[in-house]
Amino acid sequence: MLNVFMLQWKRLIKQPLLVLLFIGLTVLFVYFMGGAQINSTVKIPVYSETLTEAELTDWIERLNKDASIIFEPTDYETAKEDIRMNEIGFALELEEDTYRILAGRQDEQLPVIEQQLNQILTEQFRLEEVRKEFPTSEIEVKDFITLLESQLVETGSAQTQYQLQILVGMAFYFSVYTILFLQISLVEEKRMGTWNRLIFSPISKTKLYLGHLSYYYLVGLVQILLSFYILTNLLGIDLGTNYLPMAAITLAFLFAIVSLGILITALVPSPQSLQVVIPIITTSMAMLSGAFWPLEIVSNRFLLFIAELMPLKHGLQGLIDAILYEPSISELLQPIGILLLMGILFMGSGINLMERVSKT
Amino acid sequence: MIEVKNLGKNFKKKIAVDDVSMYLDEGESVGLLGPNGAGKSTTISMISTLLPPTKGTVKYNGKNVLKEPEELRPILGVVPQEIALYEELSAYENMSFFGKVYGISGKKLEDKIQETLDLVGLKERQKDAVETYSGGMKRRINIAVALMHDPEILIMDEPTVGIDPQSRNYILEMVRKLNRERGLTVLYTSHYMEEVEKLCDRVYIMDHGQIIASGTKEELKSILSNEETIQIQVEETKSEFRDLLSSQEGVNQVLEDEAGYNLIVSKGEQLLGEIFDHAKQANIKIIGIHVKTPTLEDVFLHLTGRKLRD
Repeated sequence: MLNVFMLQWKRLIKQPLLVLLFIGLTVLFVYFMGGAQINSTVKIPVYSETLTEAELTDWIERLNKDASIIFEPTDYETAKEDIRMNEIGFALELEEDTYRILAGRQDEQLPVIEQQLNQILTEQFRLEEVRKEFPTSEIEVKDFITLLESQLVETGSAQTQYQLQILVGMAFYFSVYTILFLQISLVEEKRMGTWNRLIFSPISKTKLYLGHLSYYYLVGLVQILLSFYILTNLLGIDLGTNYLPMAAITLAFLFAIVSLGILITALVPSPQSLQVVIPIITTSMAMLSGAFWPLEIVSNRFLLFIAELMPLKHGLQGLIDAILYEPSISELLQPIGILLLMGILFMGSGINLMERVSKT
Repeated sequence: MIEVKNLGKNFKKKIAVDDVSMYLDEGESVGLLGPNGAGKSTTISMISTLLPPTKGTVKYNGKNVLKEPEELRPILGVVPQEIALYEELSAYENMSFFGKVYGISGKKLEDKIQETLDLVGLKERQKDAVETYSGGMKRRINIAVALMHDPEILIMDEPTVGIDPQSRNYILEMVRKLNRERGLTVLYTSHYMEEVEKLCDRVYIMDHGQIIASGTKEELKSILSNEETIQIQVEETKSEFRDLLSSQEGVNQVLEDEAGYNLIVSKGEQLLGEIFDHAKQANIKIIGIHVKTPTLEDVFLHLTGRKLRD
């Protein structure tokens, strides 16, 4: 078994392009899909025609306490010119007790930012009124509803969740690609006769399969770990320290995918057809399982039911839960159990079918 | 050594091999001759325990290898028709891997690799990736890998398909050497009559899944002991000439190919005069004429009415 396992690695070292390509694609996709969102703090130019420069600076300091939006001082003419030249989408005009937004075009961020602005400025205007009423008193802002806030601290913000969704989704998605594509070599070995040569050797068929399967498994694992390592360092995404449950769900997921690969190669025993079938299966599975977007936005019951049948859905959800909520392994038994069950079913039927085909 | 009885294989409703019986004695070289699609590869796949037969038995030293394949497999070296190698790896790496799976290691493995590379004449190119080899070199490594564990029986499935004459001769000489000098038992399948004629002591002729004739080369040729072949080379073939030849008394069979005609005639018949007369009548220009003793090709032609490579 070890000889077969080592031989596959030797072959990979001679032709590493496929695996390197998929690791590269994972990094690229996560960086542009998740990474672009991570660093995108919105900058809003602010000007005023009624406030003094000191008053405007004071306002901007107070407004900048929210880290997701950065307010920068400007003047009306510059703001107008920048909007005209399409360099900015909109600017904020502050008055003593109100505000206006100067917008040059329809901007998809505008409603969201306006809502946030409204919240921040209304609070600031109220504080200003209170300060005017009690000029000598110290004003302290207290949060009355703390329950929701503590929940948010624990689970991370929606943005963090989105980044995680993309990171885990893409890393898993491309690992499925790699594993399934590598398994084409099993079909090729059977076609070109090297498999039969090994059948004559003293190696048992079980060891022969194990040598191959453990290799696909390990390549998938290395790819996921490398993707996580590169991306967490590159983008600063925190995966937490709940390592054991994270490892358990990842290993169960890989088992299910390697087994799924065996079933697919048994059903489609031609390398050319597999090269067509694998991208179709992988991409549709990723779409249905929420690797590209959160499943929460899907309302169609049939699609949600189909997602339940996908190992990627359980792996993805399980790992995101393991990172965000830090459960113990026993709390993740359901997704782990489902993945293992799927793996056993796929593997059993796949190998059975493959052996039956080779005997006819 | 190996005894095959009433072996048969059906693929759904298609009969690929039908009631094949044969035997292989220790140290002999046996040919399985037949055109493409005759069932040769299916037969040797069943003999080598890769494919379960629909019916029949294969015995090795009296033991049914279909039930106990582990009895036969370790002493079997199989050279498949395909290049069954990891082409991105070098010849050395391929041989080392297949040696290791047979439990050979250390100095013994190294010695065996060098000895086998020497035999196939590829010692200098051993570190190059197989994918950079010519067709003939790939075929030689394909054989070398099958020899790594010192098999007692070598089953070769058309090992010279698609290679140049020089490489083919090299392979044939090598197989002959293995058989004569090392006493390796060889089962050699081919549709090249001249290869089987050169290498094998006994021959089985297969067509449409059945053994249609068997015996030593001499025995098979004696089927045609009362006949001989006249090869006529013409500038251009004409159906009129063929009809005239077919109706000629003493001509048993006429076969047309791109070069001309092959006539199987009764031995001792003096037909040259008549042939020239028919050519004149059909306005055919004869380029050459050759009377020869029968070959296995002629035997196949006689038995099936077709040429081996039709």
